[in-house]
Amino acid sequence: MADFKHIFWSVLFGGAVLGGLHAAPSHAADDEQALMARGAYLATAGDCVACHTRPGGKPFAGGLEIATPKGAVISTNITPDPQNGIGAYTLEDFEKALRRGLRKDGAYLYPVMPYVSYAGLTDQDVKALYTWFMHGVQPVAEKPPETEIGFPGNIRMSMMAWNMLAESEKPETGDSATYDKLRRGHYLATALEHCGTCHTPRNFMLVEQQDQYLAGSQLNGWFAPNITPSNTGGIGDWSEDDLVAYLKTGHAKGRSQAAGPMGEAVEHSTSHLSDEDLHALAAFIKQVPAHDDEMEHQARDSFGKALQDPDIRSGIVHRVDDLYEMGGAELYDANCAACHGASGAGTADQYVPSLYANSVVGSGRVDNLIMTILEGVNRSTPSGHASMPSFGSHSDVQRLSDAEIARLVNYLTIRFGSGDHQVNAEQVGAMRQPHPAPAPAPAAAPQEAAKPAQPTQPDHP
Amino acid sequence: MSSDQNLSADVVIVGSGVAGSSIANELVRAGISVIVLEAGPRVDRQHFVENFRNLENKPSYQGPFPSTPWAPHPPNQQSPNKYLHTTGPDAEAYQQAYLRLMGGTTWHWAGCAWRYLPSDFELKTRYGQGRDWALTYDDLEPFYYQAEVMMGVCGPDPSVEDLGSPRKQPYPMEALPLSYAGEEFRKLITEKTPWRIVHEPQARNTRPYDGRPTCEGHNNCMPICPIGAMYNGSYSVYHAEAAGATFIPNAVVYKIERDAANKKVTAVHYYDPDKGSHRVSGKYFVIAAHCIETAKLMLLSADEQSPDGVANSSGQVGRNMMDHTGVQVTFISGDKALWPGRGPLETNVIDNFRDGDWRNERGAYLVHMVDDNQVDFATQLAISKGYVGRELEEQIRYLASHTVRLFSHNEALPDPENRLTLSKTEKDALGIPHPQVYYKLPQYTVRSCDHTRSVFKQLIHLMHGTDEEWTPGYFPQDHPSGSTIMGVDPKDSVVDGHCRTHDHENLFIASSSVFSTVGTGNITLTVAAIALRVADTLKKELLHG
Repeated sequence: MADFKHIFWSVLFGGAVLGGLHAAPSHAADDEQALMARGAYLATAGDCVACHTRPGGKPFAGGLEIATPKGAVISTNITPDPQNGIGAYTLEDFEKALRRGLRKDGAYLYPVMPYVSYAGLTDQDVKALYTWFMHGVQPVAEKPPETEIGFPGNIRMSMMAWNMLAESEKPETGDSATYDKLRRGHYLATALEHCGTCHTPRNFMLVEQQDQYLAGSQLNGWFAPNITPSNTGGIGDWSEDDLVAYLKTGHAKGRSQAAGPMGEAVEHSTSHLSDEDLHALAAFIKQVPAHDDEMEHQARDSFGKALQDPDIRSGIVHRVDDLYEMGGAELYDANCAACHGASGAGTADQYVPSLYANSVVGSGRVDNLIMTILEGVNRSTPSGHASMPSFGSHSDVQRLSDAEIARLVNYLTIRFGSGDHQVNAEQVGAMRQPHPAPAPAPAAAPQEAAKPAQPTQPDHP
Repeated sequence: MSSDQNLSADVVIVGSGVAGSSIANELVRAGISVIVLEAGPRVDRQHFVENFRNLENKPSYQGPFPSTPWAPHPPNQQSPNKYLHTTGPDAEAYQQAYLRLMGGTTWHWAGCAWRYLPSDFELKTRYGQGRDWALTYDDLEPFYYQAEVMMGVCGPDPSVEDLGSPRKQPYPMEALPLSYAGEEFRKLITEKTPWRIVHEPQARNTRPYDGRPTCEGHNNCMPICPIGAMYNGSYSVYHAEAAGATFIPNAVVYKIERDAANKKVTAVHYYDPDKGSHRVSGKYFVIAAHCIETAKLMLLSADEQSPDGVANSSGQVGRNMMDHTGVQVTFISGDKALWPGRGPLETNVIDNFRDGDWRNERGAYLVHMVDDNQVDFATQLAISKGYVGRELEEQIRYLASHTVRLFSHNEALPDPENRLTLSKTEKDALGIPHPQVYYKLPQYTVRSCDHTRSVFKQLIHLMHGTDEEWTPGYFPQDHPSGSTIMGVDPKDSVVDGHCRTHDHENLFIASSSVFSTVGTGNITLTVAAIALRVADTLKKELLHG
């Protein structure tokens, strides 16, 4: 899947298109080609594909279930197919959906669609996006299932009230390609990348709290951390170059690495932005108001050091059926040390990162550490494919129990992080989400579609 | 003790290794119910990794896997191994190592994933030796590819390095980059010998594949890959279970039951660890229990109907035991340091002696430069030379970096005299006899090994080698095969070209035990390919039959 995506993006955009955007003078924007190129780049910056494509599905054909506190919202088909997608949308219809959350038939969109962010787009960029979606995207005649939740109070009409509470971005003006660095950064962060959608906490009405912009928020088991410039709660110790490296590759050495939803954002979106745009985005993030964090008292990436030759050899070789209970140190040795090193230093080139000086391990919140162990890392960018196997319920490498993960996390945070967080098995169990079983090996030949029959169940001896 | 359980499935499979688990996965995904009976227990990687790290004798690749009393396997690969008893003039050469546990012996293998050559299936026709298989390379080609995709095999671009087995698709992954030792050895062979050295195809990730990481070169593929970069049968177990197959661990099958006419198998019976007996019925049965245990089970099932064992009207069950019994030498290179032991164990192979007209008189073979860590060998050598203190440390460093180990896989021929029988004296905790094998190396293999020694001597000379240490006699390669041999004639073979037993229409065998000749190259990919072909046959009969 990841490889498919990689190829997809490479083919779709290619270096020339991406690199050429800023080089292209704005007066060429009327030209269809330039408009298409700009639209493609903007769609990448807006990361539309992340939500509007289901795993294994065709790009932009929708069907992804997005968990919200109110239930799952299923993303729609935004390919130019007239029946199933947005092929019948005029530019005006498109603009209404994108910036105001209104469907062509007048119904309100669920605010999982970040129209409060896209509201900040310039007219010119809306037109570019429209042009690209109509002419640059392959139509797909597939209808994803309808979303069946109430938000809040069961009727989409209540969205009108919500929209009045939620503060939308004000549309920017002029040619966004000509903005100065900070204005461009603001534009990218708010109107396109919609960083706040995940990183800004929401109130009980699920409205982003703008006075807490980028101060961190829960996200389906993961925690989108505080990325304000606070020196204790946020990423005040990161340089602009650190941020650029992180957004470009998914990894800032000695600071942090992207997995889960941020890994996807890097893979689909930020790793394809121009260096100039990445610097603009980083510069903007570095100057938003700093917010401290009651659960973080020291920069997350400032904890721990390499362990000195821990000797845990017992000399005992157990019988193959003796799956004895391992302590944290043994779990680390058996499952982590082969790659992260006995000392936790990772590899010399940090392809495998150190576990000390690592935000995920140092954080006062253990959510992302647990989720990384459960789900692994699978992040493909033009700079390479970062991969850590899952140790969750579908792992082929090693399936760790809730109690084992709890012991391992406590060991890791004591040794390399901010101390003992006394995680227990129940906490891990609650984060173990039901995921569809991964496909087996990629099929050599098309598999015959059929449902497996159940044999009579035996008692296991 | 009899059981009132009613265990039943469309297909009952004995053995959960690469063959049994991949058949289960294919069938269950086609809507066919499957029960897999595994003699050994459920296991996991982390405990094997810790066992390996706690093990004193690191080169012992059976060492981290102490077996259960109810499913014993050889405790070591040296003689005597207290389980697989060997006799005959070349008893030492048939000390085979294998594992009885969920996922099978691929928990420890080097991942070498060769396709056989087309000629390997027609040794009799082409060279007048041994037997022909009852299938051809072309029959197997699609299943070879399916197996390569299932396992995740990396290999060279066939347009650059043609390994002699025609391919319709490229390898699923690019070939492994060579270690420094591998590169240097490759240069030596290419520049200073008339021979060819090729990248060995491996079931090992050269990129993230199937949820598993890229190989990091930990250099202990045997006994245990610590990160899951190398394929093992447990992945196919997991995939089959996810799709609904039932795997029963600690289920030691001891009897194959047939109908009154002795034409169809009706059930298999297994013991649990407490010797409680259980019966499992089905429409089809597949024995995929490794060459040794498969033949053992067939013989164990002898009764009044079949006094010589199941599927044994030919008398060939347990006969024709083969291996890639070879030659091994370790020496100290007088040239520059190679620093072996910094990648996967085996990456480079000299393949000039794999096929040729000379196969009418001597067996084919492959030469492996084994890229394993040599500190153990170097230390023993340095101590034996009397070094102490600082000099000892310097010598260990020097010798470990200059040690070269070569071994060969030499072709054997099927000889009915090389025979597996049930021990009359040795029994396991359940009272099941241990297997024993009489082995005399065929002259065809002896001549091949003689040729190998001359090649090794040339290589030692070329590298200004000293301190040669030849493994005495012949070196077993853990590729047992032939014990339920394939052929077209029911009078002299056990299974037909589809691995169906001649005697029982619903009994199949998926194991190297069906190999008519041992072939050239490690056996596992061919085992997987014939297993997937068995699955294909079963799907056709059960879904469309």
